[in-house]
Amino acid sequence: MIQLKDLSFSYLKSDGSKVSETPQLNNVNLSINAGEFVLVCGPTGSGKSTFLKALNGLAPSFTGGVIEGELIIDGVNLIGLEPHEFASKVGYVNQQPENAFVGDTVIDEIVYCAEQLGLPISEIKTSVEKISALLEISDLLERPLATLSGGQQQRVAIASALVAGQKILLLDEPTSALDLEGASEVLRVLQRLSSEEGVTVLLAEHRISRVIAAVDSVLVVHGDGSVTKGPTETQFNDSRFAPPIIELGLKLGWKPLPVSTSSANKKWTETKPKYIAKTPFAPTEDVLRVQNLEVNFGSVEALQSTSFTLQGNQITALMGENGSGKTTLCWAIQGSGTRTKGSVITSKGETAELSSNERLEVITMVPQRAADLLFLSTLSAELEESDRFAEVKPGSTAKLFKSLAGRIDTSIHPRDLSAGQQLSLVLAIQLVKQAKILILDEPTRGLDYSAKHALAIQLNSIRSADRSVLIATHDIEFVAMVSDRVLVLEDGKLITDSTPIEVLGAGSKFASQLAEISNEQGLISLEQVQL
Amino acid sequence: MKFIISRLSITLAGFGSLLMFAWPLLIAQSTTSETQLAQSVFIVLMPLILLLILVEFATGDISSKQLALLGVLVALNAVIRLLGAGTAGIETSFFLIILGAYVFGSGFGFILGSGSIFVSALLTGGVGPWLPFQMMGAALVGLGAGLIPQVSRAWLTKIYLVLYAVIASFAYGALMTLWNWPYLAGTGTQISYVAGDPLLSNLTRFLQYEIVTGGLLWDTGRAITTSLLILLTGTALIATLKRAATRAGVGRNT
Amino acid sequence: MPAITRAAHLLSANKTNPLTWWLAGLSLAVMASLSSNVFVLIGICVASLVTIKLCRDDSPWAQSISFYIKLAAIVIALRVIFRIIFNLGSSTKDAFLLLPSIDIDFGFGNALKLFGPISQEAFTLALLDGFRLAAIILAVGMANSLANPRKLLKSTPGALYEIATAISIAINLAPQLIASLGRVRRARSLRGQSKGIKAVTGIVIPVLEDTIDQSMGLAASMSARGFGRKGNRSNTQVIGARLLAFLAICLIVTGSALLLFSPEQQTLELVILFVGLVAAGFSVKLSSARATITRYRKEPWRLGDVIILASSLALVVLAFGGVFAK
Repeated sequence: MIQLKDLSFSYLKSDGSKVSETPQLNNVNLSINAGEFVLVCGPTGSGKSTFLKALNGLAPSFTGGVIEGELIIDGVNLIGLEPHEFASKVGYVNQQPENAFVGDTVIDEIVYCAEQLGLPISEIKTSVEKISALLEISDLLERPLATLSGGQQQRVAIASALVAGQKILLLDEPTSALDLEGASEVLRVLQRLSSEEGVTVLLAEHRISRVIAAVDSVLVVHGDGSVTKGPTETQFNDSRFAPPIIELGLKLGWKPLPVSTSSANKKWTETKPKYIAKTPFAPTEDVLRVQNLEVNFGSVEALQSTSFTLQGNQITALMGENGSGKTTLCWAIQGSGTRTKGSVITSKGETAELSSNERLEVITMVPQRAADLLFLSTLSAELEESDRFAEVKPGSTAKLFKSLAGRIDTSIHPRDLSAGQQLSLVLAIQLVKQAKILILDEPTRGLDYSAKHALAIQLNSIRSADRSVLIATHDIEFVAMVSDRVLVLEDGKLITDSTPIEVLGAGSKFASQLAEISNEQGLISLEQVQL
Repeated sequence: MKFIISRLSITLAGFGSLLMFAWPLLIAQSTTSETQLAQSVFIVLMPLILLLILVEFATGDISSKQLALLGVLVALNAVIRLLGAGTAGIETSFFLIILGAYVFGSGFGFILGSGSIFVSALLTGGVGPWLPFQMMGAALVGLGAGLIPQVSRAWLTKIYLVLYAVIASFAYGALMTLWNWPYLAGTGTQISYVAGDPLLSNLTRFLQYEIVTGGLLWDTGRAITTSLLILLTGTALIATLKRAATRAGVGRNT
Repeated sequence: MPAITRAAHLLSANKTNPLTWWLAGLSLAVMASLSSNVFVLIGICVASLVTIKLCRDDSPWAQSISFYIKLAAIVIALRVIFRIIFNLGSSTKDAFLLLPSIDIDFGFGNALKLFGPISQEAFTLALLDGFRLAAIILAVGMANSLANPRKLLKSTPGALYEIATAISIAINLAPQLIASLGRVRRARSLRGQSKGIKAVTGIVIPVLEDTIDQSMGLAASMSARGFGRKGNRSNTQVIGARLLAFLAICLIVTGSALLLFSPEQQTLELVILFVGLVAAGFSVKLSSARATITRYRKEPWRLGDVIILASSLALVVLAFGGVFAK
């Protein structure tokens, strides 16, 4: 179906020269069969996205750069053509469907591609009926797109990518913005498309654990220009992007590598590996006291009366599903968010009564979109502005940033940094203010496993400086990695305040993958496992 | 060939549109029914001429990337206009038209100017016979901004842009006042146009009308806000837009 | 009144073709501009308002009725006020309103004589002019309130397909932009309030960057789904379309100039303008014939549309017949 012969792709600098000596893709040779379900993975920045885009002309058309070699789809070499020339053969779905919608209603959106290709109306009609039945959206056709759930939106996006009879489907992290239910809806549909309809599916994902058992083969974009493809067991020798289950297998030297929870569980019971207990860090004095905090938006109770205290030298996780009130609570604690009742007392007093600049002396926060805080045109300008605002020695923020993210060219535009690097930058800007309390709202969104590891290490060093960190997240594995204490919100109500072992342990609702595999009470994270 | 004809058409149509604004100053001696006919004919012709120019620019092969950028700037402009509307003389949408046109060129500027006015009129209600005239006025502002020479020195760029902003603010104001002059003052008052009068005496009366209706005050307000916004945000916005232009692989085209 | 409810349901905004309301609105506007009967004019104002009230849905453009009412009132008031203040030489004999006059000199042109006597005729004429403009404004307001601009954009000629696409992108982006402005403003306080320049750019830049990123994603998704295909048009066709457009523009500009500089010979000018109009129509049609794009859902013409169009046509014919003139 798809055949790559000596395919190479490199980015260009603005002066026309190639960005680096090693191209993003270097002489790639591989073939993909019709109906194959392929998982595309690799560490952040390795070029998963570029690889997918190269398959339908979006690279270089939308990314800049040069492409060379042969790209044979359905027997025809399409190398160097514009994306619209691929449209009748290859469907493409990206991360956030709502940003890619051109229509108002579901039907408008689905027919768009067929309209652009000038297909006759009768043909479009049959195709819409078939594809909407297949994707279980037949009864949504007249609905405005904005009223759909994330999972439904993503299925509409898939329908609209296949409406003109495309037999190849490229998906660039389609589930990363979805909650658990939405993601599993999408995966179920993809499996059916590949097995029943013979659609060739290439799926780029960084939350691999969910998908891994369902795919036919795994394609790895290594980041050094090479791309390899093979059966699942042979592809994960690089732990930079491996999910916990693979990482566990690699760490313990299991062969063949188990890829599903049940097979890993079998292996665990056979081998009974050793592990150590999690030793919590000792809390120091109270730094923040939340008392009877309540938030209503009109008649909606977003947060019911909540009380707790936070201590120094602690990382506290605030967990809960989408819409459970985590973000509302973060902003209410910070002081500038809506509050109906209650108080939040810090060493400087009630946070709601402080001016926004006074607040920053006790409490800093990184919002869901960290990049919202970046507004200058170079990294160095951002770093200098931060020093100036915090009235610290010039270079302080830069030093902190380097310790978090490594050495980075400071003439770069902040928006060109990766999601992980942007987070590090904002973290550095906030930490240099020396406040005792740090709030992070969904910091792991868009980060792969290696970036999460890096963030965990950063947070450990922050905690050891006797600070209190509150992380709102629904990322179970990350909480298992870093937290000392877990709060759980459900429908605006604080229902649990306990240790991570208790909340994430085997058999609980939020059980971590390691807890599920091992079924051991005191084991939740990979770091505990001993060789 | 195609390009030359297109540019000729646009230039000619541009002059034609100015005629349709300035007709009360120019019209020869005529009866009331004759001037009324001219007035009604121009109401029909202005949207038509606008459409013809837009088609000329649109057939110059707009890529999906340019369209998306246009969409962004038009939306941003419409929203900014919504936020700034209502306060006397504070015109918040011009600076973005000027900056966008400066970075992406005249054709882009023309579509950006007319599109911004159109979308904000759709969102707020404001669609009426005056709309094609407002769209044309703003479109011409964008068209002109796309012709400002691009220089590398930031301070010189700012001087050019502010100078242009001031001229464009007053010119746009004059065009819009010219448009409403025959409607609001009618004929037969001391500050009305008189068909067939020498240009100078009609101009004098027009100036008096501008003064008594406070039009000049509004224009001054527009010139000040636009210049200030350009001075405050110009460098950063141009950097952002140029970065977008490079990423999208679209340069300035006139 | 079930009959009225049923009628309103039949004619309601989401059940009719958006073009219908524009044609109806323009018919009323034509009727108003041809009428000098104050009752007809007031009738048009009332009819427009009642129609909006009965047929509108809850979309944002349907909520703009108060804007049009205010504007209409302002126009009537301004027209009368201008007449009273800047009245030109009514004699005191047939004065209907006698105000003391004030002289004002700008230092250029004639000195203005403000106020002074106003004849009843001048006053009613101003009022009538005001009402005519108000009726036109409300008729157009009706069209704008009842016609869904998104649907309207879908029926634009192919030559404007790209621009219509950009406009619909903008309409879809605007609400998101307002939301992200709010979000970024709140997030900014987390970085610390800086003063002056940075306060403005600190909000505008992140919003713009975000929206540009989004829009590039959108453009990619459009291209990946076939947007940007060019039809197979010959070079002659392309140049022919441009030449025809050039001819149309020449004719229109010449016609307009003639209309201004020799207003007596109206027939010739109207013929030139008409030919220009036809040429423009053909050039747009020729420019539209490029990539074949299917329109899967065309707005159908329903019974409600036929009723509205037939009645507006009847009104226009009667208006041209001079029925409403006096």
